[in-house]
Amino acid sequence: MGGKCPHRSVKKRRYSHKTARRTKFLVKGDDMVYNELAKPEVERPSLPVDEDLPGMGQYYCLHCDRYFANVSVRDEHFKTKRHRKRVKQMLGPAPHTQLDAELAAGMGMPDNGPKLMAM
Amino acid sequence: MRLEKCWFCSSPIYPGHGIQFVRNDATIFRFCRSKCHKNFKMKRNPRKVKWTKAYRRLHGKDMTKDSTFEFERWRHRPHKYDRNVTEDTLKAIKKIDKIRMDRESRHIARRHQGKKAKEFREAKKELDQSISLVKAPSVLKEDPSLTLPKLKVKVVPSQSEQDRMEE
Repeated sequence: MGGKCPHRSVKKRRYSHKTARRTKFLVKGDDMVYNELAKPEVERPSLPVDEDLPGMGQYYCLHCDRYFANVSVRDEHFKTKRHRKRVKQMLGPAPHTQLDAELAAGMGMPDNGPKLMAM
Repeated sequence: MRLEKCWFCSSPIYPGHGIQFVRNDATIFRFCRSKCHKNFKMKRNPRKVKWTKAYRRLHGKDMTKDSTFEFERWRHRPHKYDRNVTEDTLKAIKKIDKIRMDRESRHIARRHQGKKAKEFREAKKELDQSISLVKAPSVLKEDPSLTLPKLKVKVVPSQSEQDRMEE
């Protein structure tokens, strides 16, 4: 996502990667996206109209957590390598979590005891 | 005092060590040192980084199934304090820790078994296949000092062959 940096004297390194770095932690984490995708279509939240977002927040890519200006731009995005890579990643095993880390450290599964109330 | 586990490398985090990151959905990520924190910021997957416990477990480097893993776990239930139980637990921790370490070292020793023979086999195969890089095959034919000595096998003609020869 590096934009062009026109004032660069070294012609080889023309792209600024500052924007990519800035937005790195604004996107959703992998595990959040994975959980969202695991839900059935009905349970996912509908897209509210938000005038601050591109395209009033109506054209959204769940995999990449991005908003687009209109349908054609979004469909164009679906064809990109970045998106397809992301889809493939999300089809794979679940992302690493704290529970995985604890299991790897030699802890057992959490013991919550017997259920006190019938669900 | 609670010893947490590092999100990235699964090592214990002692009080006053490491750093923690709380994401805007209230998920807590704890890191034992800046190395792990940096790796997290680089969005690396701990399952693909060789020095983490997650990698070692996944690739069969460490023991995965053992009864000693059943002791340390989250118990989300209230428990009444009992001094005797605590005392016994503290004694048991040392013993269990020793058992686990022994089993772990045995596992690794078993894993390393046959490594030497495997390396020898591979080296021999490479020597057989790419000796031509050292010396041309035509030269080798004249001076076979570089080739591996061929084992001589005595050929004993079977009964039917002997019969045929007599005929």
